[in-house]
Amino acid sequence: MSARMDRGVVTQSLAQIGACGLFLLTLLAAIPRSFRYGRETVRQIWFVGAMSLTIVMTCGLFVGMVLGLQLYDVLSIFGGTSATGTVVAIAIYRELGPVVTALLFAGRAGTSITAEIGLMRATDQLDAMEMMAVDPIAYVAAPRFLAGIVALPLLGVVFCAMGVFGGHLVGVTWLGIDNGTFWSNMTATVDVHKDIINGVLLKSIAFGIVVSLIAVYQGYTTPPTSEGVAYATTRTVVASSIAILALDFVLTSFLI
Amino acid sequence: MTQRRSYAVGTGLFIVLGFAALAYLATQTTSVANARQGDSYTLETHFANVGQLKARAPVKIAGVRVGSVQAIDLVPGKEEAKVTLSIDKAHEDIPDDSVATIFTSGLLGDQYVGIQFGQSKKALAEGGIIGLTRPAQQLEEMIGKFFGGGSAADRLGGTYKVTGHFTNVGSLQAGAAVKMSGVPIGSVDTVVIQPGHLDAFVTLAIDKRYAQIPDDSAAAVFTSGLIGSQYVAIQPGGSPEFLKDGDEMVLTQSALQLEDLIGKFLVNGSPSDNKNGAGKSGGQPDASSGK
Repeated sequence: MSARMDRGVVTQSLAQIGACGLFLLTLLAAIPRSFRYGRETVRQIWFVGAMSLTIVMTCGLFVGMVLGLQLYDVLSIFGGTSATGTVVAIAIYRELGPVVTALLFAGRAGTSITAEIGLMRATDQLDAMEMMAVDPIAYVAAPRFLAGIVALPLLGVVFCAMGVFGGHLVGVTWLGIDNGTFWSNMTATVDVHKDIINGVLLKSIAFGIVVSLIAVYQGYTTPPTSEGVAYATTRTVVASSIAILALDFVLTSFLI
Repeated sequence: MTQRRSYAVGTGLFIVLGFAALAYLATQTTSVANARQGDSYTLETHFANVGQLKARAPVKIAGVRVGSVQAIDLVPGKEEAKVTLSIDKAHEDIPDDSVATIFTSGLLGDQYVGIQFGQSKKALAEGGIIGLTRPAQQLEEMIGKFFGGGSAADRLGGTYKVTGHFTNVGSLQAGAAVKMSGVPIGSVDTVVIQPGHLDAFVTLAIDKRYAQIPDDSAAAVFTSGLIGSQYVAIQPGGSPEFLKDGDEMVLTQSALQLEDLIGKFLVNGSPSDNKNGAGKSGGQPDASSGK
């Protein structure tokens, strides 16, 4: 521990990234073995995905509503309020949907994965598994990793649908944009390939991989103390948020 | 075991919900919703200018979407755009003398192809060509027509030059249009002050196609609109002789200064006075002096 403290911040971060990369390789190698624990993966999808639905849907609704409100306000300056639906949809599909869902997912599911695995480490459950010839990477880490990759794109899509619904609610029901104009402008501009597949799905899958990897890695390598678990949980949120936003920029510059 | 099954059912529901949301987004909020499932046939049109028209832009009849633009190419060897339209089979009764026009939705909107029906009893078939087209209106051109004196005529036929003296040319500049009956027939070549004279000497380059202008015609400096640019208007006279290269136009009318007009209006009051006043200052043809 003290030896690690001695090294500089840069070296330490590099070591973290390197260790994380090596952990990813171990994890990928363990995935075929984890297929025999399919039920565990399903349980994790339920836990990180279905249990996050409420928060994701609520946030999606409010994000869509506030976008509708702001855009109506700004676009009315140019007399272009009919474009509200288009801009709400494009903003949510391309950026807000995947990014906000991933941030929520890191806070809601990533932390609990880290804390759970961290406590298993702290209470020697992982060591116990190894003694019983159960590979903890295949039984504990890989199912959670896979569950995150499956759950985040689905949550992202639900978020987007709720966002568009929220935008419609504010724009059409409250502010009086014509219903047909709202939808026809949206369908005329939004493109399946560019906005749905490249926007929502591809970004969500990439974020799912990154967030799940960080959460599982932080839990698995946490120091076996209560303080260590606390730090690991914090680091999961911080590292995930930075990784999501940075990766979002990189992905966008490639996809646009 | 029951607990496990409830996980499985819940997870299944979650996955189904996710895919349902995906299907909803992909089919109801994107351009897929516009895609027609029915068969279509193609028509070909040629435009002098397609402006900002893009592939997949809508094709509309009476404002109703009937198809989309399939491809936009250049006709080989010609300055002409070939636009292929894909029209729904349901609309097979487009007369073969219909007119295709490129419209803009709104002032800043996207462009689309509008088809106006002709009178013919024969309908266009697959691969048919809509012969009559109107190109995209370029905003710059329209604004130019509105504010400018109109674009100067091209000089394909060559020009001949006539001159005239004006007591005041206002803000007339070389390159301004020369018009007769509102039609551009040439342009202003030079606006200078000759040594020893106190009035402006203007050379007009008039297209040779308009060679039959009576030699007692008057030239006046007019303003297009209230704030438009100035141009030279030729008011034909009655002489049987025509203007030739190098001739001088004797009858000229100077530019009306807006400031003068407003000043007169404020001082004299009634509009009729104003008319007379304006006529006195610059409205009367003033014979050029010094020759």
